[in-house]
Amino acid sequence: MEKVIVNSDLYFDCLNKDPNLSFSVVSGKEVFLFLKDINNVNSIDIDVRNDSILRLSIFSKNPIDLLKITANVAKNSKIICYFADFSVEKNHLEASINLNDEDAKCEWHLASLSSQKDDKNISVSIYHNSPRTFGKIDNYGVCKDHSKLVFSGVSHILKGCHQSASHQNAKIVVFDDNCLAIAKPILRIDENDIEASHAAVVGKVSDEHIFYLTSRGLSVDEAKLLITLGYLKPILKGFDQSVSNEIDSVIERRL
Amino acid sequence: MATLKINDLHVEVEGKKILKGVTVSISEGETVALLGPNGHGKSTLLNVIMGHPRYKITSGSMYLDDVDITHMTTDERARAGLFLALQNPAEVTGVINSDFLRAAVNATSEEKISTYKFYKMLDGATKELKMPFDLATRSLNEGFSGGEKKRNEILQLLLLKPKIAMLDEIDSGLDVDAIQIVADVIKKEEENGRGFLVISHYARLFDLIKPTRAVVMINGRIVLDGDTSLIKRIDQNGYEFIKTELRIEIEKENADMNTVSIGSCAVKESIKK
Repeated sequence: MEKVIVNSDLYFDCLNKDPNLSFSVVSGKEVFLFLKDINNVNSIDIDVRNDSILRLSIFSKNPIDLLKITANVAKNSKIICYFADFSVEKNHLEASINLNDEDAKCEWHLASLSSQKDDKNISVSIYHNSPRTFGKIDNYGVCKDHSKLVFSGVSHILKGCHQSASHQNAKIVVFDDNCLAIAKPILRIDENDIEASHAAVVGKVSDEHIFYLTSRGLSVDEAKLLITLGYLKPILKGFDQSVSNEIDSVIERRL
Repeated sequence: MATLKINDLHVEVEGKKILKGVTVSISEGETVALLGPNGHGKSTLLNVIMGHPRYKITSGSMYLDDVDITHMTTDERARAGLFLALQNPAEVTGVINSDFLRAAVNATSEEKISTYKFYKMLDGATKELKMPFDLATRSLNEGFSGGEKKRNEILQLLLLKPKIAMLDEIDSGLDVDAIQIVADVIKKEEENGRGFLVISHYARLFDLIKPTRAVVMINGRIVLDGDTSLIKRIDQNGYEFIKTELRIEIEKENADMNTVSIGSCAVKESIKK
């Protein structure tokens, strides 16, 4: 497996490449890495070295059998990940972020649209292996038709990793009686001097929200669409204009 | 001149009778203060006028401009010219405030307005309310302070230009300066011909907006419809005179209602399961 050294912004097309990818962000750099056509990729290993920032953006629109993402974040470094999951049929994703040294940080943002007979299992975990590390997971999903969408994962703060903070947020809006949506964000905390929170919301669009929007003249369908887009569109800020436009058109078409 | 006429309106929610024959009218260009103890149906009336699906109208009627709105959907009522500034506006994650405002303006206008014209309107309205413009670019009400949420309701009123606007405790959560700003906007909009039906528990707001009439709701009915001296009288002496002068026994809030805090709808809270 060849390791790709990332020292400047990189648009990486995964088509016809090794299914096991490896990237290393050099020290002291702030870089953007966009991965395209990842559906045949089995694993992605990422090293974020000292004092660097990686903005990782992944857009998927094809089936994913099993994709494992492992990131190791070094001292005073940060990984910010935007995963736009518009895969059809299936997506089995296992992401593990290791915050290995002091002041390592991770922000994970994922938006997932699950429709028809899609079967999606998305697990995102952050391991706080050093003091003063910060992790935040925001997983937002829309579940329709006969599809299945599961958000899981663990935020684990190991003993001795004081003054660390870990937050998880999993929200799925459910459209139909026949779909299955599960959100189970788990915290494992072995240290006292920390901050941690986890929240899970699964449910239909709130009647109060619908009333609020319709009281301003929007029809029920327009209100539902606007609220649903609110689950998916915030992910666009992680992508450049051309990819953002492509994701936008996929959202509009599939909703 | 548009007039909203409520005639002998009876409403229940989950089998519990809340409104028991409300008759009242509000015309464009007048401001009506809606007074009454907690849990007697004031917020319910406003929600019913706006078409909240939770409330069931069992008899009576509502007309706006001689058009029967009793069975209209909420969005149809909004497009007909009604507006409700909510007591506790919902936080809607991910829905950008300006996207929502633009969709609302387009829904209530005869023709779609251009992006340029919309942002010009938005800029003018946020300046009038002394709101930071960045509130328009954030998720709808998410993370807004109580005062910011209330100003955002008035911002919507300014952009949508309804015929009749209902304000449910618009002053709760506002500091003294903000109440003055909101009151100035209400006065100006009244002069522009808008009608207002206003709930507040504090005389301060009414001192500033100077209603043209006051009505009192007791036991799910309007029992007094008179001039604004009622506001001062109730502010100073409470509702006891209703018992002695009108010989109406004021029903006590049920036990659950006693737990309701200021700023929430007592009826809605009491029927929560």
